[in-house]
Amino acid sequence: MTAGGDTAARLRRLLAILAWLAQVGEAPIEDVAGRFDLTPEALVTELEMAACCGVPPYTPDQLMEIVVTDTSVSTRVGTALARPRRLSPSEGFALAASARALLAVPGSADSGALSAALDKLDRALGGEEIGVELDAPEWLPLVREAVGSGGDLSISYYSASTDRVTEREIAPRRLFASDGHWYVDAWCSRAGDLRRFRVDRIRTAEVVELAGKSQPAGGVDPAGETGRVEGDGSAADAPPGAGPSGFEPFVPGPEATRVRLSVDPAMAWLVESLPATGPALPAGGRVEIEVFVGGDAWLERLLLRLGPDARVLDPPEHRSLAADAATRILRRYRDGDGRK
Amino acid sequence: MPRLDRLERVTDLLLVLLDTPRPLSLREIADRVPGYPDAHGARRQAFERDKRLLRDEGVPVLVVPIGGEEQLGYRVEPDAYYLPDLGLEPEEQAALNLAVAGVHVGEPIGRDALGKLGAGGESAIRTTTAPLVDLSSVDGLPALPVLFDAIRHRAFVEFDYRGEPRQVDPAGLRFRTGHWYLVGFDRDRDEARTFRVDRVDGMPALDEPGSARVPPGFDIDSTFGRDPWQFGAGEEVEVDVLVDGAEAGRVVAQLGGQAVVERRDEGAVVVRLSVTDVDGLILWVLELLDHAEILGPEPVRAAMVERLVASGARDGSAG
Repeated sequence: MTAGGDTAARLRRLLAILAWLAQVGEAPIEDVAGRFDLTPEALVTELEMAACCGVPPYTPDQLMEIVVTDTSVSTRVGTALARPRRLSPSEGFALAASARALLAVPGSADSGALSAALDKLDRALGGEEIGVELDAPEWLPLVREAVGSGGDLSISYYSASTDRVTEREIAPRRLFASDGHWYVDAWCSRAGDLRRFRVDRIRTAEVVELAGKSQPAGGVDPAGETGRVEGDGSAADAPPGAGPSGFEPFVPGPEATRVRLSVDPAMAWLVESLPATGPALPAGGRVEIEVFVGGDAWLERLLLRLGPDARVLDPPEHRSLAADAATRILRRYRDGDGRK
Repeated sequence: MPRLDRLERVTDLLLVLLDTPRPLSLREIADRVPGYPDAHGARRQAFERDKRLLRDEGVPVLVVPIGGEEQLGYRVEPDAYYLPDLGLEPEEQAALNLAVAGVHVGEPIGRDALGKLGAGGESAIRTTTAPLVDLSSVDGLPALPVLFDAIRHRAFVEFDYRGEPRQVDPAGLRFRTGHWYLVGFDRDRDEARTFRVDRVDGMPALDEPGSARVPPGFDIDSTFGRDPWQFGAGEEVEVDVLVDGAEAGRVVAQLGGQAVVERRDEGAVVVRLSVTDVDGLILWVLELLDHAEILGPEPVRAAMVERLVASGARDGSAG
């Protein structure tokens, strides 16, 4: 109990409890303990200790005003350690950015209270110069509604890795934005399983009633086992790992292939900024790097962006991929079919 | 005498340092805070550990030279410790809790912030069915809160950016398409510039508060530009791009409906873009593979053809 980290965590929790108690005045021990993940006994021990703290000569007016009864605890607004503390730069940033991100969610209704809170935060912390922009794909509102109401959708979905459009019925479960894109985890009739979809790849959607869908119990998220985006299979399009709030790290699916590239060192950052790649290794003035690829189209995009200088080393059958894609695109320009 | 809980000693220390109107020497502190060892060396060591713990928890412990044999005095300035009253209404606090629950910026920073505001506790910030938003986390971008601090305090910053030292008057931060950007005025280049925060090497060095000289009338949003084809400083040219139905929905969601100048069969659209960076435009159009085509003007279309030929395209015009 004397380790610094442990004392620091206890101090942080004690100050959070006191700050919260100061807002509510008095609260049942059970409630406070549950809220702050303590047993009632541990909560009482902690608060009785704090109640004895104070400034010499320890007359009652110099002690912390914390009252612990058999059933409840209370403190007084203005008690030295119960007033809100200044935020660190990270904390101030986290609050201002979180509030702005939620306000940027397209169709966020009833955000008056949040806007008002943000104004007050800005006045105290100066966060006005933070801006958060989120994508607003056409079908986002409908998908969001389906997640909220438990409704089902019939969608036509553009798969970027196969470059084809498929029809499927889905039961949306969870909606989230990551890496600048909106994703929905949904039970998919075509796959007979949970799948992850990018909302901006939904071409059309309408509300339907699905019969005989298997409901995953308790809102678990098997799609997260692979973290794979339906029809994408690329590391670039999978959301990054994020831990406690429920974002899963990308794990390549069984059908993903490893592709080894040789690129100019000046372009290595572009590849390294993709998740799920190996380290970039210098090789004769160039850099070799490995990426996981689930679909040809995704690799074509990457190679074309990297430019003429990037080469596929392995597997050999992908070596002509960029030239083939460039040929396909060039055909549009030579035929001039877009211009009238 | 039973060994005192260190938390009690630290809590007492915090109260004493907040309460004192003048800096206290270590001896005076030990007189007021129970639990410090009597031996001078051990006492100093225990106090330094407690001071470090408080500082790590964000408590601004001041060290001030004082007269007498101990030479150094300590106190905590209440104004630097307490947050000015935000005056949040209960529903505003609740909305803020929801925002922290629904937005991932690198836990547990947001939760700790709520704790300081008096809205802590796990059950207060439980995940809901509301959409979740992941903002590339702060723990992966140590420079981000530092740059935020620089903007708040209008402090001039220096940092290394992709191997080059940069001197910037910071103006704002923007999150777009999965990345955080710093927008500011680059003193060496004498120009407004945008920097991707994940490409800042190491920690930015901040100058004094108020040292930033952002030019009057500096407009963050016009500097940031909307898109990769506006990052350059070239002459502005209007470019028309035809996008197939397969990708039209995504492109229109990105650009907004006002960019569409023509709708064609099977969901295809023509969008008109103001381009100052042709290379940036070409990279963006390449992402769309053969679902898009630069229609004109001719020099921009020719630049795309050149790029495709360089990438190994075989010319099929004869076929």
